[in-house]
Amino acid sequence: MKRHTSVPSDAAQLSILTQFLQEFWSAADLPSAETLTFELALEEIFMNVVMHGSPAGRAPRVEVSLALCDGCLTLMIEDDGPSFDPLSLAAPDVTASLEERRVGGLGVYLVRQMMDAVSYQRLGGRNQLSMTKRVREPTQ
Amino acid sequence: MNVRLESLSLTTIVMPEGRLDYGAAAGFQAQVEQLLAGAGTKLAGVIIDCAGLDYVSSAGLRVFLLAARASQRAGLSFAICALKPAVREVFDLSGFSRVIVVYADRAAALAHTPQGPV
Repeated sequence: MKRHTSVPSDAAQLSILTQFLQEFWSAADLPSAETLTFELALEEIFMNVVMHGSPAGRAPRVEVSLALCDGCLTLMIEDDGPSFDPLSLAAPDVTASLEERRVGGLGVYLVRQMMDAVSYQRLGGRNQLSMTKRVREPTQ
Repeated sequence: MNVRLESLSLTTIVMPEGRLDYGAAAGFQAQVEQLLAGAGTKLAGVIIDCAGLDYVSSAGLRVFLLAARASQRAGLSFAICALKPAVREVFDLSGFSRVIVVYADRAAALAHTPQGPV
């Protein structure tokens, strides 16, 4: 099962993307336990493009696709903004004290922790981030 | 996202409900800041009861971090409680549950919240 949608990189589109994901979840009858992982990945990576990958005066187009294959769900987020690999961000110090704690880089860190596999490539002038996690046991 | 407030003598309980995502974070932050700004000497502690919170992202975590810091600077006790499993996972992975006190439920949080100025 596959679905695809496309939106401008604008924070107001986040709720539309979340709805797209939730509709896929219902249609594929996936277990609710893993919904948050994918909702979080969608928000963190999309908002990264909106806030850091959108040059002034030009909102890149963001393509989002979901593909379910043998119990594994892959979320692919692509944009035609400037080349940027979010996986190159330094991991935040998750042991820092309350006063020294920073949130920068935390979103991508959480995505890496929660997904089974995450990969980035720059292809044809586009950033492509692919995130996969098993969401149900493979069919016998 | 809906936020309810409940005052119990010297403790205010904040109850965010629904999704604390990027879109909801600024509004929630403003409500928490307003609460802390008006605390004066009438308040000893703040508890954020997350029993109704279904989702939190890094934008939402940031509000908890700022609230915990502001409370510490104001000399208030600060705790959160009743995290749903999925929300708890985000708090644990981010390491936030090491710097913010998390209680299993509201009764436990109240038992550890001073009922006078700290």
